[in-house]
Amino acid sequence: MGGWGFWIPQLVLASSLVTAVVIFGLPEERHRLRGALNLGGAALKLVLVAVMFAGMLHGVRYEARLPFLPGLELVLRVDFLALLFVSLSAVLWLVTTVYAIGYLEGSPHRSRFFGFFSLCVTATMGIALAGNLMTFFVFYEMLTVVTYPLVVHRGTGRALRAGRVYLLYTLGGGTLFLLGAVWLHTLMGTVELVPGGVVAPLVATHRADLVLVFALMIAGLGVKSALVPLHGWLPVAMVAPAPVSALLHAVAVVKAGAFGIVRVVYDVFGVETAAALGVLGPLAAVAAATILYGSLRAMAQDDLKRRLAFSTVSQLSYIVLGTAVVGPLATLGGLVHLLHQGIMKVTLFFCAGIVAETVGVHRVSGMAGIGRRLPVTMTAFTVAAFGMIGVPPLAGFVSKWQLGLGGVAGGEGWVVAVLAASSVLNAAYFLPIVYTAWFREPAAPWPARPDRARWEAPGMLLVPASVTALLVVASGLFAGSPFSPLGIAVRAVREIYGG
Amino acid sequence: MSAAPLLVVLLPLVLAAFVTRPGGAGRLARAAAPWAALPALLLALWPHPPPPAEYPSVLTGMRIEVDATGHLFLLLTAFLWTVAGVYARAYHAEDPARPRLYLFWLAALCGNLGLTVAGDVVTFYLFFALMTFAAYGLVVHAGGGAALRAGRVYLVMAVLGEAMLLSGIVLGAADAAGTGFEAFAAAVADSPRRDLVVGLLLAGFGVKAGAVPLHVWLPLAHPVAPTSASAVLSGSMIKAGLLGWLRFLPLGHAALPGWGAALVALGLAAAFLGVLAGAAQRDAKTALAYSSISQMGFLNVAVGVGLASPQAWPYAWAAALAYALHHGLAKGALFLGVGVAAAARGSGRLAAMAGLAVAALAVAGAPATSGSLAKSALKGAAAQVPQWPAGLDLALSLAAVGTTVLMGRFLLLVWRAGGSAPGPAAGLAVPWMVLLGGVAGVLWWVPGHYQVELGGGYGAGGWVPIWPLAAGGVLLWVLVLGARTLRVPPERVAVSPGDLVVPVERGLSALRRAVAVKLPAAPDAPGWIADRWHGIYARGEQEGRAARLERRLGRWGAAAALFVAVAVALAAALAAGGAR
Repeated sequence: MGGWGFWIPQLVLASSLVTAVVIFGLPEERHRLRGALNLGGAALKLVLVAVMFAGMLHGVRYEARLPFLPGLELVLRVDFLALLFVSLSAVLWLVTTVYAIGYLEGSPHRSRFFGFFSLCVTATMGIALAGNLMTFFVFYEMLTVVTYPLVVHRGTGRALRAGRVYLLYTLGGGTLFLLGAVWLHTLMGTVELVPGGVVAPLVATHRADLVLVFALMIAGLGVKSALVPLHGWLPVAMVAPAPVSALLHAVAVVKAGAFGIVRVVYDVFGVETAAALGVLGPLAAVAAATILYGSLRAMAQDDLKRRLAFSTVSQLSYIVLGTAVVGPLATLGGLVHLLHQGIMKVTLFFCAGIVAETVGVHRVSGMAGIGRRLPVTMTAFTVAAFGMIGVPPLAGFVSKWQLGLGGVAGGEGWVVAVLAASSVLNAAYFLPIVYTAWFREPAAPWPARPDRARWEAPGMLLVPASVTALLVVASGLFAGSPFSPLGIAVRAVREIYGG
Repeated sequence: MSAAPLLVVLLPLVLAAFVTRPGGAGRLARAAAPWAALPALLLALWPHPPPPAEYPSVLTGMRIEVDATGHLFLLLTAFLWTVAGVYARAYHAEDPARPRLYLFWLAALCGNLGLTVAGDVVTFYLFFALMTFAAYGLVVHAGGGAALRAGRVYLVMAVLGEAMLLSGIVLGAADAAGTGFEAFAAAVADSPRRDLVVGLLLAGFGVKAGAVPLHVWLPLAHPVAPTSASAVLSGSMIKAGLLGWLRFLPLGHAALPGWGAALVALGLAAAFLGVLAGAAQRDAKTALAYSSISQMGFLNVAVGVGLASPQAWPYAWAAALAYALHHGLAKGALFLGVGVAAAARGSGRLAAMAGLAVAALAVAGAPATSGSLAKSALKGAAAQVPQWPAGLDLALSLAAVGTTVLMGRFLLLVWRAGGSAPGPAAGLAVPWMVLLGGVAGVLWWVPGHYQVELGGGYGAGGWVPIWPLAAGGVLLWVLVLGARTLRVPPERVAVSPGDLVVPVERGLSALRRAVAVKLPAAPDAPGWIADRWHGIYARGEQEGRAARLERRLGRWGAAAALFVAVAVALAAALAAGGAR
């Protein structure tokens, strides 16, 4: 025991857990100290993740096993798949923290907010690093619970109602997942998460059980990853403050679901076993249906955040689709979209938040000519929107390209048709926003920016949005680099398929 | 030196980043914007082609290369954009929205230059997409209902084209070893999905190339743009679709007689329909846009010949290149000339008409013009496909008759429109005359570069016969005289610009009304995108079937019911399992 390989994974968790505990203890008015703690924790975590990344590239392996319950260990293990999710969360947590500090300036209950905010990230990190199924479940449920106060943060009737819907959906989903996990546990004892899966020996004897376990787990995870028809909570949860929506849609909750599906398919069942059980076909079909349904619904929304929410429903299923098609290229497409969707969607929500905060507009139809008032914001929005449509050289193009190649290589050529249709639909609900913002005449002149303001919006809001927009460009344009999201995903895929 | 092509391509994008800024950097960028294509032109004229360059970290591995095909398109693109840029400087001298125009101009220029030097399919698609979306800003620059409608139709067609392209490229690249053009084309030739891929690529690039029946956006968008932008749209950007075909299709790799014949048939249809619809226009620039559709039909024929027969491909290739250069420059000269003629008075106006007549004669294929050279190369290539009927040659000649009529009609329209405001005529006239010089220069450039391929064609260095031109002249005279004698009111001979899109738009709005009447509960059922483009959010979310379902799913009771149902199903499954 000991050594950095043992401690670093725990420190990654602790960097936000300790932050949370300290923040809960801080008096409400200690804003500067709280901000410093938040940013310090986020920066520390980023450094730790960078160290792990460098270590992994040099062949160091990180694993921590802690006794938990009799016969059950809490296992934290870092593989490239975990690293993928951890890097995304660490980077986006830092920028979202900056944004949240700026966004909530002057509003009440900030200790509560930032405390749960940190816990939320702790849980996400735990999900990423979980080395067995029970560890995964513990953090997965923790995420459900600690996100609730963030969703209802505003305390209005709508927010409370959204929180209730959120809890019922996600706790229900968690219950299904637990049923599946326990069932599997009774069949084979502790379920370690290992590339290639662990259930293969059971296929001959317990085929029906395995199919049901798979269905239970996917249904449970499908709630968070918003697979139709389990997506109902997501558009409702839009009442949360912008930074929460951003984190919720890019990293924390929905990604936990999608990441869970990836883990279940590759590390619990193993993609070959899952294919042999015949469960991947239905999963791919559900994912494809979700992609198209989410896009169609997004077109009908005038509320900007709701439109973005349905877009999330649609885009998340790219990850699931990539997972459900057998073959390294499809996996690569799904995994890289895990990161790409995160940075693109976080940018869009940051921008939506800036629009709402600076000029008080929440509806697409009210955004006519807003590009003149908020040029930098809308440029960032436009970049992310084009990325979502899949226009090169932006991140979304790389996802679609890999997914398409993977679909064909996996013998599922129809995937390309789904991607093409989805691209058209994405264009149909994003381009009108871009058009309205840049080309339509404003109904009335926009309120001028305050006299002493240096920029169009507070820097704490504008800088995160610009940074993530630049990431959207960079991760697409330099996809061929080993340090790009694609580069990390390639390593994760090698790990999954061996070789 | 190997970085030179990428640098000259990215220069406009760098300028674009500053062009809307206030202050010194912005002023500098605006002053440089009209000349942004000049470095690319110098590179194209430089006697030693730069070596290829690889950038493995960029996208899926970027390759930049100026090969023989790319070189000609680089020359055409750089020359036309330079001339049109200088023209735009005078044309938009008083335009307050000039910075915005330059922004889209420079971005579209970057895309158009970039796709000529792209060495792999992804890089090509990257620059193609940049050009497509940036050109939207050029189409709608004038503002107003007509421009916005044109922009809407343009964007819908462009998005559909991009989606078809992406699918086609992904399906083709899935079997290819790498993303280079040769590897891609070879893989398409052997692909089990060959016909699907070829169809998607033909249609995807066909949108840009104005191929019938995907041309509907073109007669709306090309004329409504500012004149300098019309010139590059109709002269250069339209050729990006052609270059896409040349790069991606398995030309010379496989014989696809069915696709070849289909493309030739569509090309001839475009050549004739373009003439018919164009001659029925009352706006000179719209007539020119239809002429572009018609002329791109000739280029369809060249590509069709290459698809049908790998042996004929070298000849078809040379013909396509010669035709592209000829038409790009001549059409650019015609568009710019419209603006010159409108700004000139007195003897200047006569001179402008004379210049326009020269360019029109070149398009019609008069002897000793670039048009005659290009048409002769095309006929020579078509003759290389032995199994095809000789009627093709005659059909091409008849299409040339139509071209003559259309060009005559165009000149009449310009003449009748009259000169108007005294503008800065010199600023327009000088670049235009340089471009006319370029049209003449084709006669020198093309034989110098493609001697072998042209020589094997239709009589070495020969011209096409003069009879189509004469017949066209007579036909035009008869038509004009006939219309005058019979007193046909001008509005009787009219085709709405955009032809097919008009009934489509009408049909869709009728459909939408019908759906709205019969199914008031489902207004958000999937409809046609363009139709809903603006209306959808103005209308807000009405309570449709899907919306109701959504609202129910958003109730907490739904979640409870959902999970109770699942629990019951599970219990049943468990009971069944236990019974077994």
